[in-house]
Amino acid sequence: MHAGPSTTHDTHAVHDHIHPAPEGFIRKYVFSLDHKVIGLQYFFTGIFLLLIAGSFAELVRLQLTKPEGAIMSHNAYNEMFTMHGTAMVWMVLIPLVTGAIGNFVMPLQIGARDVAFPWLNMVSFWILPVAALILFSSMLFGGPHAGWTEYPPISLADGTAGALWCMAIFVIGISSTMTGLNFMVTIMKMRAPGMTWTRMPLFTWATFATALMNMVATVALSAAVGALFLEHVFNVPFFDASRGGSAVLFEHMFWFYSHPAVYIFIIPAFGVMSEVLPVFSRKPIFGYKMIAFSSMAIAILAFTVWAHHMFPSGLAPWLQLPFMILTYAIGIPTGIKVFSWMATLWGGRIHFTTAMMYALGFLITFTFGGITGVFLASVPVDLHMHGTYFVVGHFHYVVAGGAVMGFLAAIPFWYPKATGRLMSEKLGQLSFWLFFLGLNGTFLPMHWLGLEGMPRRYASYIDFAKSNPDAQFWNQFETVASFLMVASFAVLVFNIVWSIKHGKVAGINPWGARTLEWTISSPPPYYNFKKIPYVYNRPYDFDQPLPYRNTDNELDDYPQFGKVLMPTPTPAGV
Amino acid sequence: MNEVLIERGAALAGAIVVGVTAIFQLKNDWAAKGVDALVTKILLGLMAAGCVLALLAAVNVLGARAS
Amino acid sequence: MAAAVQTLDGHEAVAARYHDVDPVYAETRDLRLTGFVLFLLSDCVLFASFIFAYVYLRVSAPVWPPFIGGHQLPWFDTSFAAFNSIVLFGSGVTMHFALENWKHLNKRKFNLWLIATIVLGIGFLLGQAHEYSVVGISWSGSTMGASFFTLTGMHGFHVFIGVCYLTILAFQANRGVYTGSKYFGLTAGTLYWHFVDVVWVALFFLFYLW
Repeated sequence: MHAGPSTTHDTHAVHDHIHPAPEGFIRKYVFSLDHKVIGLQYFFTGIFLLLIAGSFAELVRLQLTKPEGAIMSHNAYNEMFTMHGTAMVWMVLIPLVTGAIGNFVMPLQIGARDVAFPWLNMVSFWILPVAALILFSSMLFGGPHAGWTEYPPISLADGTAGALWCMAIFVIGISSTMTGLNFMVTIMKMRAPGMTWTRMPLFTWATFATALMNMVATVALSAAVGALFLEHVFNVPFFDASRGGSAVLFEHMFWFYSHPAVYIFIIPAFGVMSEVLPVFSRKPIFGYKMIAFSSMAIAILAFTVWAHHMFPSGLAPWLQLPFMILTYAIGIPTGIKVFSWMATLWGGRIHFTTAMMYALGFLITFTFGGITGVFLASVPVDLHMHGTYFVVGHFHYVVAGGAVMGFLAAIPFWYPKATGRLMSEKLGQLSFWLFFLGLNGTFLPMHWLGLEGMPRRYASYIDFAKSNPDAQFWNQFETVASFLMVASFAVLVFNIVWSIKHGKVAGINPWGARTLEWTISSPPPYYNFKKIPYVYNRPYDFDQPLPYRNTDNELDDYPQFGKVLMPTPTPAGV
Repeated sequence: MNEVLIERGAALAGAIVVGVTAIFQLKNDWAAKGVDALVTKILLGLMAAGCVLALLAAVNVLGARAS
Repeated sequence: MAAAVQTLDGHEAVAARYHDVDPVYAETRDLRLTGFVLFLLSDCVLFASFIFAYVYLRVSAPVWPPFIGGHQLPWFDTSFAAFNSIVLFGSGVTMHFALENWKHLNKRKFNLWLIATIVLGIGFLLGQAHEYSVVGISWSGSTMGASFFTLTGMHGFHVFIGVCYLTILAFQANRGVYTGSKYFGLTAGTLYWHFVDVVWVALFFLFYLW
């Protein structure tokens, strides 16, 4: 009917896209379309789930204070470490580093008023609590027992609980995919004018690399757990070797996602480092392009190394070798980053704020975990260590000492932007030292226990303790140290809540940082930028004036104030 | 047997018609710009390849099983 | 061209490419198009994963088709599948004609080609239903059945969604939702439909010709 070219400009359509401020509690805080509110929703949900998943870990640690197992049945132990791993990986870390920090910071950093698809963003968030409920409901049916990887054939014995596990991971996978897609489009298409790829802040680069992996790899995981779900529920033989299936196939499908997944946690933490370190060293970041491109290099290499998790599975030797070499190759971009950060610190005026302490702690613990990762990349070493606590120590150094540490650095750094108030510096330092000491105390002894051959995932280590009399001492040491981390999180949560009311007022830019989010008020208005800024340089040259034109501070009499164009928040587009 | 011949004949004729049309559409669209046009060209090209496969299957070059 | 209207993200260039469209629509269209292409890419990975599973199971099996209960499973019927493939590929061509006619503002022909596409899509689904009834293997009986029914089932589901989508598009187009220059929904529908065709190319080759 209207299939004619519209020659006149339709102003009515334009005004349809000018959105007034959201009103009412539901629109503002529950089903919000604002990326900042969604980021905070992710944040609080993620912290809540972190406390649950962390308490599972503490139960695991308490069990190991005695060689025969101190507090629970072996079956319950299996359930606990499975739920700890699953919840931490999918319900806590990925939502926190991509959903919370990425959502809150990335659109502000690129000078956008929202993500490309606000409605999709809201749906992505609301999938998270649903998936968490499905996951925890599996505990009512006996719980999954096969570890966070849920390898068949063991996981096939989990029955309903295993099926629910698959469903939860499938559902959260949809959320990750949508978030990744949303962020990809946002970064590709919605950067402020003048912000070329090589003028993007490094956290945005990291988010882009993460979004790419989230979008591509998560679907492969959905396929893996989807097939496992079909096998659970409809008895379809994909992985059951007695009917022609292959358990190794599941490992391939699973790790094709799950190796990128560990970079999905860590690359945003790299991005946080690249923002925090130059700001508190008051020095331009060293090697901007190398840091940016190494994020992409890691993201791309991540898809080529999955089988290094499967060396003991009987992989053909001609396949082991390339996977080993490619895994070593990942050390190169990672090393580039670490050396660039150290060069950034060199000669800078270092301010030891809480965020900076976490960042320095990250440099120590992450580098340590990265180096043990290089050990494990070697096939002969891996075959020896794969089933031991060495792997647990390595993994937790990288994830707790890397991803979580980066996330913890991001909290005091961007908290003033989100709330308008600074977090307490004293409590922050206290929580840092508790976390740092607790982390090293818990995971460092795992390395030598693993080298001596303490098997991972066992509910008791009686045989190992017979040949290693100090095993029980070190395990008790680890358990005590792990409660330092609990104390650290208690202080952190208290600090977050207390500072909302009692923190010092932050102002626009408490840290003297230079990325775009620090040019607008704290907390930012729902439309972020009155006027879209123009960017003419990178945000890291501390001796230069700010590389922006058109920021709010320069131009106060914007004529259309209050009538800003936001991305169209509809479920379906025409 | 007769049924198989009809299916194969229809597939052969259809593959030629659809494949040639797809290639002509591809040729007409070749100069179009934009992401949508690019993706359409890739997908049309692959579909034309699919027509070739169907043609080869119809004349029993591909997919002939030793039964 | 309303230069005074502030655009969504300050970009003038995107708006300039579609000069008869208002700039906000042009940018929204650009975002959605990129998002849709990325969605197709991730959907592609979903099929690729299951195809990998099928290839892995088939290559690592001692014989193919596998023996179940002492006798070998039958091969699939190539000739009917070739015919049914052409039905689906033909629908891709008709969909392309439909969009071309929309772009050339020929509403009547657009409707005809779109209806032809929907009819062919339903025809393909009926053909698949027939195929399922005569194929002689079961979903949970063997790895062959598992990969066949999972992959073609997923594809069939995509075709079903596509048929529904195109039907909605047909109604929307005739209710005046789309105008001469604002028809992103039709572009997306066409891309989706081509994508579904191309997935079938891979499945047709892997199950019937390999």
